[in-house]
Amino acid sequence: MVETQPSLAIKLGKLELPYPTLMGSGCYGSGEEFAQFTDLRKIGAVVLKSVTRLPRVGNPTPRLVHTPAGMLNAIGLQNPGIDWYLEHEVPKYGRRPWRVIGSVAGFSVDDYAYVCERLAARDEIAAIELNISCPNVASEGETFACDPNLTAKVVRTCRGLTDKTLIVKLSPNVTDITAIAFEAEAAGADALAVINTVRGMAIDVDTWHPRLGNVTGGLSGPAIRPIAVLAVYEVARVVTIPIVGQGGIETTRDALEFLLAGATAISIGTANFTDPRVPERIVEELREYLLNRNLASIGEIVGKANVGFATAHEYEGDQG
Amino acid sequence: MTTLDLPSRVHATLVTDRRELAPGVVLLELDAPELAAATLPGQFVMAIPPSGEAAATALGVYEAEMRRASLLFFITGKRTRELAELHVGERLDVLGPLGNGFDLSGSPRHVAIVAGGVGIASVLLPAQALIRAGARVQLFYGARTAALLVEAQRFADAGCEVALSTDDGTAGYHGYVTDLLERSRKHDVVLACGPSPMLRAVARVAAQIGVRAQLSLEETFACGVGGCWGCVVPIVRTSAQAPSFPPASEGGSDVVNARICKEGPVFWNDELRW
Repeated sequence: MVETQPSLAIKLGKLELPYPTLMGSGCYGSGEEFAQFTDLRKIGAVVLKSVTRLPRVGNPTPRLVHTPAGMLNAIGLQNPGIDWYLEHEVPKYGRRPWRVIGSVAGFSVDDYAYVCERLAARDEIAAIELNISCPNVASEGETFACDPNLTAKVVRTCRGLTDKTLIVKLSPNVTDITAIAFEAEAAGADALAVINTVRGMAIDVDTWHPRLGNVTGGLSGPAIRPIAVLAVYEVARVVTIPIVGQGGIETTRDALEFLLAGATAISIGTANFTDPRVPERIVEELREYLLNRNLASIGEIVGKANVGFATAHEYEGDQG
Repeated sequence: MTTLDLPSRVHATLVTDRRELAPGVVLLELDAPELAAATLPGQFVMAIPPSGEAAATALGVYEAEMRRASLLFFITGKRTRELAELHVGERLDVLGPLGNGFDLSGSPRHVAIVAGGVGIASVLLPAQALIRAGARVQLFYGARTAALLVEAQRFADAGCEVALSTDDGTAGYHGYVTDLLERSRKHDVVLACGPSPMLRAVARVAAQIGVRAQLSLEETFACGVGGCWGCVVPIVRTSAQAPSFPPASEGGSDVVNARICKEGPVFWNDELRW
C-alpha cells in the first residue's frame, strides 16, 4: 500500500513554506549557528534578529536569567544597523538552503519605513516581520504594539512599500490584543506573530540588585505558553489572516495546541536553547500525527479546538 | 564543514564514571570519542538536560583523551543537579566542542595558570598541552575552603607546580589566589579561569607585572553558539576583525560587544574593555 504523506506546507500571504515551523527572531542567529546540530532544510524559515536604522549596542549585561520554566532576557536590540547589515550579512543568506525572514524594529514610523523598504528590496529576504513589540528597549520598544492607531499607521506605511509578506509581531503586554490585531489586519498585514515575550523581573536577594542589567526583561519559555495559546485563540476570532503562534513551544503537543487554537504556523525560540534538534523533531512528529489521524494537510487542524457548547455540539453531531 | 553537512557536533554520550569529588562537586566521565578527539584546551560543551525541562548547561571540558571526555562542575541549581544525578550507563547528549579555547602558540616557557573554584574545570587541558610542549607550568589554585580544592594532585601528577590558596585559610595561602600570582613575577603568559572578580584581579595583576593574560570568561549562556547575543562583553575591535564584527554605534567606536560563547570564552586581558 502506498501511503500519501500528509502535507506540512503552509502559506503566509505570498510566502510559501514547506514546513510550518519558524525560528523566532533573535533566538536563532541567521540559522548558520545551528547548522551543525540540526538539518536546516527541515525548518520552515528563520526569522532574523531585528535590525534598526542605526547601529545599537544593546543593553548592559547580565542580559539573561534562567527562571523556573523559562528565561528572562533583555538583549536590547543589539544590531549593526541596516547599512552594515545589507552590506555584510544579507549577501550570505542567498546561498543558504533555508529561507530567512527579515525583522524590522524602530522608534518612529519613518524608522520602520526606511528599514522595511531597504530590507524588502533584497531578494535574499523572503518576507518581513515588523517587530513592533520589543519589551526590552527603554520606554519606546512596545509603544507601537500597545496602541491600535500607531499599529495601523506603521503597518499601513510599510504595506505601501513592499509586496512581500508582512508579518506583524504583537505584544502580550496589552489589555486587549484583539484590538491591535484587528487594526494590523485592516492596515494590510499578511500575517500576525502572536506573541512576543511577557515583561518580567528577577531580583538577587543576596545583593538586592536586579538580576538583569536592564532591570526588566522579557519572559519566554514554557512559563508563558498558556498566555500565548490564549492570545492566539483570541486573535484568531477577530482576524482572517494567518497567525504564527509562539511562546514556549518545546514539543509537538505544544505546537498542536497552538495550531488547534488557530495558528497556521508556529515559531520556536527558547526551546532551541535546550535542544537545537527540537524543530526537526516537531516536523517529523507533526507528520506522524497527521498520518495517524488520516489527515491530508496541517491546515486541517488549524483552529479546530472544540471550544464552547455550540462547537462541542457540532462535533458530536459530526460523530453521529 | 559546509552548512549543508548533516549535524556533526551532537554527541550522544554514555556516562562511564561519576564521582563526587567534594560536597556539591561532581566529575562525569563520558564515552565520547569524537568529542574527545575534537576538543581544544579551553573549549566547552552545552549539556542537554535529560529531562528536557531546563535550558542546556555550558560546561568546560575537563579531560579529553582517547574515547573519554570528562566534565567537572559544581552543583549550583536545578540544571546542574539534574546532571549530577546521572548514573553510570545513562545517556547524556552534548553539543560541542564550542567556543575558542586558549591560545597556546608562541611557545611560552614559563606559564602561570590561575584557577578559582570551578574554573579548575577548564585548565587541565591547556596545562597538559603546555607541559607536553616543554613549558614549565605553575598552577595557582584558589577556593573558598580546603574541601573545594579538588583535583590539585591531578595537576601535580601532570607536571604542574601547584600553589594553593583558600579564603578561610584551611589550606595553602590564606587569602586571594591572585596574591600568589602577584608575588611570582616570572611568567611569559598567564591563563586564568574562575569567577569574574578573580579574572578582573588577574587582569590587573598581569598588567602590573607586565605580562599578557588570557581570561576564560563566565556568563549565563542561552544558546552557547552565538545565536542570541545574551552573553556579550565589550572588546576593542581590531582592524583585523573588521568588518566581520559589526560596529557598536553610529560614531564608529572601536569598542564592540563580542559574544562570550562564540568569540570567547577566552579573551586577552588587553582586548577587554569591561
